[in-house]
Amino acid sequence: MGIKDIIDGKKYWRAHVARIKALPRDYRIVYNEIQRYFFKVGPVELLDGSLFEGILDFFEEGVAAGKGVLELVGNDVAAFCDDLIKGSRTFADIYQESLNARK
Amino acid sequence: MNFWETITGSDLTREWKAFEARATKLPADYQAAWSQIKTHLFPYGGFSGRNLMPILDGALRLLEESASDELGIHEVLGDDIAGFCAALAGGHGARTYRDRWREQLNGTVARKLSRLGG
Amino acid sequence: MDDLTEMLKGTLEGCVLQIIGSEEIYGYAITRRLNELGFVDVVEGTVYTILLRLEKNGLVQVTKRPSGQGPPRKFYRLNDAGRKELKAFWAKWEYISIRIDKLREGGE
Repeated sequence: MGIKDIIDGKKYWRAHVARIKALPRDYRIVYNEIQRYFFKVGPVELLDGSLFEGILDFFEEGVAAGKGVLELVGNDVAAFCDDLIKGSRTFADIYQESLNARK
Repeated sequence: MNFWETITGSDLTREWKAFEARATKLPADYQAAWSQIKTHLFPYGGFSGRNLMPILDGALRLLEESASDELGIHEVLGDDIAGFCAALAGGHGARTYRDRWREQLNGTVARKLSRLGG
Repeated sequence: MDDLTEMLKGTLEGCVLQIIGSEEIYGYAITRRLNELGFVDVVEGTVYTILLRLEKNGLVQVTKRPSGQGPPRKFYRLNDAGRKELKAFWAKWEYISIRIDKLREGGE
C-alpha cells in the first residue's frame, strides 16, 4: 500500500464519517447499531467497505424522502441486516473451514 | 508460546502491530477487554493465525466504534467474553450468540429511538 | 391482508424482477408499486436488500442518475441474465400454482 492509498483511504474515511454525522439522529442511531452488529457477525463484505457505503446511500435517500428510519427499514432491523448479507460468507465461516481443512 | 510465535509471516506481524497501535488509543477498560479478547481467541489462533486476523479486526472496530459512542464496555460485550469470542470465531454456541446479537440490535434500536421520541 | 411476509418471502424477488423488467426504475418507485399492488407491508429496506442481491448476482444493469432533490438515484434495468431469471421465476411460479390449485380442487 503506497502513501497515496493511505491518504486516499483517510480522505475517504473522513468523508464517510462526515456523511454519517450529517444524518438525522434516528438514522445515525440505527446506522451505528447496524455497524456494531456487522462487526460481530463479520461478513466478508466488510473488507471492501461497499456494505456500509450502500447502506449510507440508501439512508440518505430515505432522509431526502422525509421518511423515519424504521419506516424505511422496517421494525426488524436485524432481519434487514441478515437480508443484506444473505448468502455471503463470514470470516468465522472461513476460519472454521480452515480448521476443518487441517483435520 | 504466545500469539506472536504462532502467527507466521512478516505481513501478519505488521498487521498485528497495527492492531496493537490502534488498541492503545482505546480507553483503559476497553484496553482491558481487548486483551481479554486476545486471550480468549488465542486457542483459536494457534491453528491458523491468518484467518483469525479479520475476526480480530472486526472485534477491534467494534471496540473503537463503541468507545467513540461512549458505551460502557459491559453493554458491548456482555458478561461472557469467552462465549462472545467463541461466537466471533464461529465456534461452539455461535448460532445462539448470533440470535442474541440480533435481539440486542433490535432491542437497542427500539430503546434508543424511543428515548429520542419521548 | 395481514401476515403475508413469510409467504411472500420467496416470491418477492420475482415480483421485483417483473417490475424492473417492464421499465427502468429506481428503488423507491419499486416499493411504491408493490405497496399499490396491495403488498402494504413491504418497506424500502426489503426492496433494497433484494436489489443488492440482484446486482451482486449480475442480473441487473444499474445507472446512477441525479434526482430533483436529494442524492442521485440508482436506476435498475434487467440484463440478459436477469430476463432469463425472470422467465425461470414465472416457470417455477406456474409449476407451484398449478399443483396447489390441483390440491385445492381435490380437497374441496
